[in-house]
Amino acid sequence: MHIWKKWLTPVLVYLSAALVMAYASFRLPTLLPGDFVTAMYAGSDVTLNAEQEASLRSFYQDTQGFPEYLHNLATLDWGYSHAFMAPVSQLFLQALPWTLLLMGTAHVLSTLLGFFLGVEAAWRRGSLMEKAGVGMMTVLEGIPEICSGVLLLLVFALSLGWFPAAGAQMAYADHTTGQWLVDVALHLTLPLATLILAYLPGNFLLARAGMVMVLESFFVVTARAKGLPPRRVRYAHAARNALLPLVTRFGLRFAFMITGALVVETIFSYPGLGTLLFNAIAMRDLPLVQGIVLFSAIMVLVANLGMEYVYTLLDPRVGHAS
Amino acid sequence: MHIADFSRKLLQNSLACLKETFFPVRIHWLAAMVLTVVFMVPHIGFPGLSPGSEIRIADSKGDWGYPNPFRHYPRGPGYVRMSWVFDTLVWKDKNRYVPALADTWSYDPDTKAFSFTLNPRAKWHDGRPVTAQDVAFTISYFKQHPYRWISTHALDRAEAKDEHTVVIYLSMPYAPFLSDIGGTMPVLPQHIWETVTDPLVFDDPSAFIGSGPYLFKDFNKTQGTYLFEAFPDYYQGVPKKERLVYVRSGKPMMSLITGQVDLANIRPDMAEHLQKKGLTIIENEHGWNKKIMINHKKAPFTDPVFRRALAYAINRQEIIDKAHRGFATAASHGLLSIDHDMYNPDTPPYSWNPQKAKQMIASLGWAKGQDGFFHKHGQVLEIELIASNLTVAGERVADRDGEIIKKQLTDIGIRVHLRNQEQTTTDSRVKNWDFDLAISGHGGIAGDPRILSEMISPVYGAGSVNSARFDDSPELNRLLEAQMAEMDPDRRKQIVFKIQKLYAHQMPAISLYYPHTMAAFNQDRDITWFYTKGGISKGIPIPQNKISLIR
Repeated sequence: MHIWKKWLTPVLVYLSAALVMAYASFRLPTLLPGDFVTAMYAGSDVTLNAEQEASLRSFYQDTQGFPEYLHNLATLDWGYSHAFMAPVSQLFLQALPWTLLLMGTAHVLSTLLGFFLGVEAAWRRGSLMEKAGVGMMTVLEGIPEICSGVLLLLVFALSLGWFPAAGAQMAYADHTTGQWLVDVALHLTLPLATLILAYLPGNFLLARAGMVMVLESFFVVTARAKGLPPRRVRYAHAARNALLPLVTRFGLRFAFMITGALVVETIFSYPGLGTLLFNAIAMRDLPLVQGIVLFSAIMVLVANLGMEYVYTLLDPRVGHAS
Repeated sequence: MHIADFSRKLLQNSLACLKETFFPVRIHWLAAMVLTVVFMVPHIGFPGLSPGSEIRIADSKGDWGYPNPFRHYPRGPGYVRMSWVFDTLVWKDKNRYVPALADTWSYDPDTKAFSFTLNPRAKWHDGRPVTAQDVAFTISYFKQHPYRWISTHALDRAEAKDEHTVVIYLSMPYAPFLSDIGGTMPVLPQHIWETVTDPLVFDDPSAFIGSGPYLFKDFNKTQGTYLFEAFPDYYQGVPKKERLVYVRSGKPMMSLITGQVDLANIRPDMAEHLQKKGLTIIENEHGWNKKIMINHKKAPFTDPVFRRALAYAINRQEIIDKAHRGFATAASHGLLSIDHDMYNPDTPPYSWNPQKAKQMIASLGWAKGQDGFFHKHGQVLEIELIASNLTVAGERVADRDGEIIKKQLTDIGIRVHLRNQEQTTTDSRVKNWDFDLAISGHGGIAGDPRILSEMISPVYGAGSVNSARFDDSPELNRLLEAQMAEMDPDRRKQIVFKIQKLYAHQMPAISLYYPHTMAAFNQDRDITWFYTKGGISKGIPIPQNKISLIR
């Protein structure tokens, strides 16, 4: 009974949250002013008479109700994009790998690097190195992506010509697999660096602050007194306890992966879900907006669920809390 | 502490810190690895950079739909992508109409019919010949399944007289025929489309079989890239480049300088720098105008005196100088471009005159109050002005005009609420007459004068949010009808002159300025790009005319 209760409650909570989110993703985009026919056929070159316009409007009219929408979702039918004339799932799956490559790599690298540098800085608290690090990271934290991205472009693409200025790969180039990998890596470098510059300072400062507090705990003093090697004291004893806030931040950032990349995707013309969503909203391509918004919402849930599990792994006290 | 000491100490500390952290890894190994990567990167370069047999064109948006008549986005860049694959009966070079699928053409006023003789060498991409029957079929197909870019209302029928002669009979005289049908209507292969009942969902590879210079190979929706390959049997000769690639780039200047693209639209302030870098700069005529849409169905805008007062109150040169650093030209109030052959130089200019604007508003019963604003029947004169970032020639341009116009109108005593809204929201509000004033704009004003009818009359321009849909003046309506049916260019010019004058007097919308539009290209590719007079097809202000890659 106890086990059932333990597992059933969160499952029910998450399912009802998913249902609410599905409804929000279904309903909210329909509240946008304007419609697909206005967005698509409003240009001065279009010759539509009133009758043709009415027939187009009825063609693109979305008449399905929420139960039908849910049923379609359950059968993996995410709808059909008005603008691209392609299934939403297909568009989504084509854009997802690029978002994962850019945002996923940026999150993982900036979290690992921020954690590592933060721990090392806290260990050397008061040193010149730590002071310079904290100062530099505080300054970097205040620089928006749009600024650092453009600066990186100016230096490394325009002046030095080391990296390409736009896109995720050289379109339609006759590459071998090796050349293609190098090409993708070169295109990835500047947007990735911009994101790391944006995410790293926060992770560093958070890890350092957490670590500074933990280092003052008695168990760390005990570990040192036992004569354990400094690296073991730092990582096995202290850093593990300073990790929870960083995991929370990682989870939250991960959940906003889709919308978070829009600025960088725009600066570097990098493909991904952010650009897809932005264009879909501008064109009032409702099925596509609904699909991406829903997926984004589900990611928030999954990230929350994942974090709960990771918390228990990192700190067994969380598991005993209930 | 001295700065040098500080730096030295910081360096020593950093090295010590690295040494301690990466203890098992020798520090010089690490340095060697970093140096190798740093020196390798520039030598790796960009693998597979475009060889001489291809052209790369930058576009900031990327996706414009699939290049066939039913699947391209109904905007200029979408049409241009389709124009590589599908040919029309006639086409335009830099200044005039030239043969395309039709070698010769003529108009017979007695039968109201255009006769076209087709080029016998013309072939479809699947090798079959292009025939007069294909042209006749295209017209009947578009009558049944409308292509949103052309109107077939004036076409009665088309008859194939022999293998290569087709006669198109008009149901009424239709002056824009050559521009809107002859030079815009893509000819479809009958053997493919005759069985297609729902062209909107027809996405078979054969939907992209045309008779144009390039074969459609790929459209990557995620990357926003297109690939076209030369059609070796093209009737006007093998295209100059084997491959034509469109790539998405939000930074055209960088893409041009780094050699990633060969042609891109640029902002005018980039021109000088790009010229120094060896790129060729071209500038378009004044083919696109920014204008203020007026809700002339709502008081006080129902009165033409009030609308003219607004025109006097707006200092267009100030907008050009402050918001565009001088890279624009004040527009004619008659809507047609000042570069147009039919532009009427006697159109009233409404030069900036705030005093006159105030007097005109006062003459309508409004009186200045203590607060400096006009009042009537206890109500202050307040209006809403909507501004949006607009798409000009396929490029997104941020709005900086709203603030200046707000200040200018406030200065004469109108309280203005400026709302910055996203373009589709503004379009939707304008369409539903749910607005006072809205900043908008459109092209086509250097092309066929039918743009006047489409952008003024509710009969022709009902579908466009840029149309004033104005029908308060029976005389203007009559002239707009008459110019569409006048087949004699000189007589049509006289009517168009009158329309411009009357339109400027009625002022159902206020033309502000023509932004300077430019493009840059790499001359090393041996392709000379140009802007087409009056725009490509119906008036597209983009320098991607297929003639550049054919002749």
